[in-house]
Amino acid sequence: MTTPNPVLQAEHLVKTFGTGHTAVHAVNDVSLKVIPGELVVIKGPSGSGKTTLVSMLGALLSPDSGSISIDGAKFTELNDVELAALRARKIGFIFQSFNLLEALSVEENILFPAHLSPGGTRAAQSRADALLKKLNLEHRRDASPKTLSGGEKQRVAIARALINQPQLIFADEPTGNLDSQSGQEVMMILHDVARDQGCSVVLVTHDPRVEDIADRILWLEDGALRDRKSEQHSWVKDPVCGMRVDEWTATLFAEHQGERQVFCSQRCLEKFEANPDLYLIPDTEGPGKSAL
Amino acid sequence: MLKWTLKNLIAEPWHLFASVSAIAGAFALVMFFEAVFAGESKQIVAYIDHSDADVWVMQKGVSNMHMATSFVSDWKAGSVGEVEGVSKVTPILYLNTVMQAGDKRWFSFIVGLEDEGQRAGPWAIVEGKSIPAHHEAIVPSVLAKITGLKLGDEVTIAGHTFNVAGLSDNTFSMANSITFITAPDLADIMSTIGSMSYFLIDAEPNVDASELALRIKNEVEKVNAIPKERFVNNDWNVAMQMGTEIIGMMTIIGGALAVLLTSFAVYSHTIRRERELAVVKALGVQNRVIYASVMTQATWLAFLGFIMATAMVWLAVPITASFVPQVTLHVTPLGLFRIGFTALLVALISCIIPVRRMLGIDPVHAFSA
Repeated sequence: MTTPNPVLQAEHLVKTFGTGHTAVHAVNDVSLKVIPGELVVIKGPSGSGKTTLVSMLGALLSPDSGSISIDGAKFTELNDVELAALRARKIGFIFQSFNLLEALSVEENILFPAHLSPGGTRAAQSRADALLKKLNLEHRRDASPKTLSGGEKQRVAIARALINQPQLIFADEPTGNLDSQSGQEVMMILHDVARDQGCSVVLVTHDPRVEDIADRILWLEDGALRDRKSEQHSWVKDPVCGMRVDEWTATLFAEHQGERQVFCSQRCLEKFEANPDLYLIPDTEGPGKSAL
Repeated sequence: MLKWTLKNLIAEPWHLFASVSAIAGAFALVMFFEAVFAGESKQIVAYIDHSDADVWVMQKGVSNMHMATSFVSDWKAGSVGEVEGVSKVTPILYLNTVMQAGDKRWFSFIVGLEDEGQRAGPWAIVEGKSIPAHHEAIVPSVLAKITGLKLGDEVTIAGHTFNVAGLSDNTFSMANSITFITAPDLADIMSTIGSMSYFLIDAEPNVDASELALRIKNEVEKVNAIPKERFVNNDWNVAMQMGTEIIGMMTIIGGALAVLLTSFAVYSHTIRRERELAVVKALGVQNRVIYASVMTQATWLAFLGFIMATAMVWLAVPITASFVPQVTLHVTPLGLFRIGFTALLVALISCIIPVRRMLGIDPVHAFSA
């Protein structure tokens, strides 16, 4: 069985904000592939670089180094005009705060990106009608976004993201502003989009319910990315402070006497490196690597 | 995209109304100055215009009437009358001086009429006589309204007293007023004998005024002859020279104010929609499309401001005439066109700052919660 060609491929992405002592490595040597129809969830603590990564993958932000290609075509060297055209035709965005255009009606919001596609709104009208029906928005066709509930707004945003039949959808905390029922609904719609339409979905979220529908969960912390299934934890103890740390998600390590130690923070790592023997007293109860 | 642009503009009607009103205020100011200037300019040449002579004859070296002095021997009226193509010669005496009515003084153009004064006299009478008799004056009705003059009251011209015998219409401006007395009375004031100031020439039918003026200049010594249209232009140009700098300055101030207000309106509109602009950029709308959108909004704001300003000035004309009769407002199509063109420039200039601001909007901001 052959693996399908990735619709999105990122290699060695690096993005640093600031310089010198104030430099923040938002994304540090991240590589990933997303195949058609795959629903990939990116999780991680606040400030881990999720939005920076998605912004780069979505052709909104240029990486300092590395390359990104959609459908085999690299776009990291395109100019702003070409990037805008690429976003219009191949990428759909769903935002946490919906970001509907307040002055336009539901239908006009959905059709807005169609102005940017070759066929224009005329060609997209039938797709808009189908999306309105599928997302149960037909009765709200002429409504102003101000009059919609949160769930309806997000469904309009999903329809807008789908109108140009993109190959990729990036969703940033799409359930963040929704109640649990609406959130569940939105998740299932995104799930169906990936399964039924073969549209790859890259989803940034803290919502634990997504893990049930995700094909793959990636964990981003301190700019570094790793694959992880939610049930896979490998708890170890920080040898300095004794705090429980998940080895799957940890990013701070040190090798000492042939053994790998895992740390919860830079401070603990520095203390350990200053005097490792202090923290590695052979003791069945003491600090050190031990499965919990 | 145009729909989004226009719907965005009207999404907040009160904000739009406030913006358009402010811009209209600035344009109305410019229009008002223009209308005052046009009205005053028109009034300055009102006498020449309404007396409707084909050719004006005056002292050699003189080429206009406003603030000018001209003396032509009265016997030359006969010589001019003998020139081929001349149908009628109407001499007038003319003096720029101060007229006193009560305790108020007004700069006035005094026209001295010969016995057959109808030809060169006032063209519209509100009350009283149209032809003055000895020691009588026909004064502007606006002047009478301002000073409280009535028929039979006295006015003083260069130390000579006259009774108000008639009130004429359309003979007053802020720069001058026209008062009619008899030619002998004015000759007495001017201490001149055997001289007139201008001859108003009526041409025979189908005689070209320019050719007739040339013939008069060639055949009658030491006179200048100018066709009416050019004579009106000469006077109007003198008025322009006197008022252009002031009105130009006011127009620049009003225009600058309009640029400032339109800029502010478009800028505040852009700032309020910054997040939305980031979103549309993220969705793939290119910068040039957003520039076009900002320009369209600015053009609409300026256009609506221009329309509202036109309506404001249109209303202001009769109101001003009622409450400030000494000010003559005249809105000309050329003036409107000029301000309309200015509005277009204002719209383009006012886009500079908002467009610069837009350049800095990062589509990544669409992700900000």
